[in-house]
Amino acid sequence: MKLKGGYFKKLLLVDLDKGNAEAVPLSDEFCLKYVGGRGFGIKLIWDNLNNFKSPFDPQSMIIVAPGPLTGLYLPASGKTSFVSISPATGIYGDSNMGGSFGVELRQAGYDALAIKGRAKKLSYVWIDDDEIAIVEHEGLKGKGCLEVEGILKNELKDNHVSIASIGIAGENLVRFACISADWGRNAGRTGMGAVLGSKNIKAIVVRGSKDLPVYDLKKLKELSDVSFEKLKSHKYFEFWQQQGLMSVIDYANESGIMPTHNFKDVQFDRADKVNGYEMQARYKIGDTACFACPMACGNICLVKEGKYSGTVIEGPEYETACMFGPNLGVDNFACIIKANALCDDFGIDTITTGNLIGVLIEGQETGLISEEELGGMKLKWGDEEGIIQLIHQIAYREGIGNTLADGSGGVLEKMPQLKPILSQVKGLEQSAYDARAAISMALGFATSDIGAHHARAWTVAKELEMGKEWSLEQKVDLVIYHQTVRPLFDMLGVCRLPWIELGFDEHTYAELYSAVTGITLTLDELLKKSNNLYDLTRAINVKLGIGKKDDYPPERCFSTPIPSGPHAGKVLNREEYEKILAIYYQKRGWDENGRPDMRSVSKRFSDKM
Amino acid sequence: MSRKLTVIPERCSGCRLCEVVCSINRFGVNNPKKSSIRVMVLYPHPVIRMPIICRQCKVPKCRENCPTDAIISKDGYCTIDEEKCISCQQCVMSCPFGAIFLHGDISVPFKCNLCGGDPQCVKSCPKKALLFVPEHTLGQTHRMASVLKYTKMKEVEYVEKGEKKILRYADGERIKEER
Repeated sequence: MKLKGGYFKKLLLVDLDKGNAEAVPLSDEFCLKYVGGRGFGIKLIWDNLNNFKSPFDPQSMIIVAPGPLTGLYLPASGKTSFVSISPATGIYGDSNMGGSFGVELRQAGYDALAIKGRAKKLSYVWIDDDEIAIVEHEGLKGKGCLEVEGILKNELKDNHVSIASIGIAGENLVRFACISADWGRNAGRTGMGAVLGSKNIKAIVVRGSKDLPVYDLKKLKELSDVSFEKLKSHKYFEFWQQQGLMSVIDYANESGIMPTHNFKDVQFDRADKVNGYEMQARYKIGDTACFACPMACGNICLVKEGKYSGTVIEGPEYETACMFGPNLGVDNFACIIKANALCDDFGIDTITTGNLIGVLIEGQETGLISEEELGGMKLKWGDEEGIIQLIHQIAYREGIGNTLADGSGGVLEKMPQLKPILSQVKGLEQSAYDARAAISMALGFATSDIGAHHARAWTVAKELEMGKEWSLEQKVDLVIYHQTVRPLFDMLGVCRLPWIELGFDEHTYAELYSAVTGITLTLDELLKKSNNLYDLTRAINVKLGIGKKDDYPPERCFSTPIPSGPHAGKVLNREEYEKILAIYYQKRGWDENGRPDMRSVSKRFSDKM
Repeated sequence: MSRKLTVIPERCSGCRLCEVVCSINRFGVNNPKKSSIRVMVLYPHPVIRMPIICRQCKVPKCRENCPTDAIISKDGYCTIDEEKCISCQQCVMSCPFGAIFLHGDISVPFKCNLCGGDPQCVKSCPKKALLFVPEHTLGQTHRMASVLKYTKMKEVEYVEKGEKKILRYADGERIKEER
């Protein structure tokens, strides 16, 4: 099969040790098999796996990959994946962001960018269409993510370049440092910012001018015109623009699945002080959208009075608002904005940060950690000053912050007594959904290839709404479907939210892909490609020591019944979980220890670029 | 009736759909860098997103400064005659709004031609930040705001379908003050 569009068929490989860059051609077969985005990243990580020992090894590689649909006239085509071995977990890691960064990278003529080696001095990678440079710039040292973006746009005298940068936390190798672009979009999870930091790369700057390759532009336009109209006529379209993901606070609170007080509770009695309506009434000053997205789920919020006055951010989104709000017992939305702004500027993941601070507060409340261990801090729920101080300490690796900066792994090594109250899987802290009421959600967290993140399988709503009586087999099918379709979005370079929130038919993506590439594929055929790659991330993780022992949801899911709300009293049953995990392995074709047939995987994925 | 393309920057989300649609319609390619509308995002000082559009000035600086008379005004918009244009970029530099653009692939500068009278960017804007309105309605929002803010309006409460409402009015009979 010959590709007629969709790809430049070029990978830009930057070698910081040699100080050079080379455009590596990609074959049609490679593009078709791995699709793009996360798919390209996984394959490159797999091929490079034997060349390095730790995520901070100079020979480790970070891949930045938009997809074949990124930047095109279709709903929410602004996604880019960042893929590497995660410093937070030591296993496969990826995180994606919206905005325009991937669009610019594609317009520069590359389907993906891979960076390896380590620059001698703090530098940025400058991709100006075909001209590539590694520019030393020690003046960027210690600067925040947004500051870096401003400085470089000024110095390069171009407001239209796209810049991905790391903050102080990335430089300090905080293991959950993120990468920020376009004034506050973040590839937040799994510590991709620390990988860049370990390579002495403070930013990637891109300017692209090329036409994006599309086989049948007329067809793409027709399909998308209809798609945009469908989204715009959805009954929740305007509400979505107004609140975006902040609307989830009320949903999660009412459904009794909103992490509160370090995942102990599921409802927050002051949720109305931190929900979408509170944001709209007092803080929101504008909307922001990723590239080509009509839904504009981003909010721009400004604190107009009080001690946080003048703090402005793109955000917060649900995860951040929940992790710094209810999860820490904070009922002041302005404080959430402040915490979000600090994390964005330092470049640290808000989910992990909120999660770990919650553990400290509960740890101190229950006597698991002493005041001395926290350097004299007396933390309590809703302790705004303590929270803000801890965020600083993490970014600068000061005091207890130095331990927190190493993520769950670091915390448990120094304070193993916190294990029962630290919600994490494979070393990645749980994101903001309770998993005790829905076993499929627990399975989703437990078997996600990056750790306890909802992006792979967010099945909680479906199970609670219609699947409570489903058999375990059906629930496994649901998890596997999510773990297949959601990564497919990350491979194509589009956002999943039109599908989740406004009922956008996922089959349309197959039609769009066919129009763009000139190769007609059905959704099932695309899903098969995505599903195959789940075997490959698993194989990477198995090689890095992951097995059945790591496929369990956080301890709290089994130990502490839900105290209130519609699912009060519910807790996961160990036997039932063992059963569902066994069914999951069987349906995945993995053995009883959760291992895919490694020889077959090696053979299936031994192809060259 | 003459219509004007106009922008409400406060509504703009920065999604750049206008740019993509423009490039498809005008040049038949998916390339936001080849659009005649450009979204500027300034952050965080100040915080604003604003699409830059050609205002189709009636006394166009671009036309005035064109040494070869390549800029033609007709039907309420200006276009660049590619035959006459020598691509000296005088128009680009003289537009007070920066609404004339250049791209390495294209030999002459390009600017908005209102898609011949049916601007596609307006249709594509999901936030209604771009409007194509009759010329005489421009400024109407401000005129309206000015009326609503008139300080001497009086209020009377009334109940409609059990709901308390307020009617505001200017009392022509009771006005005492002289200006």
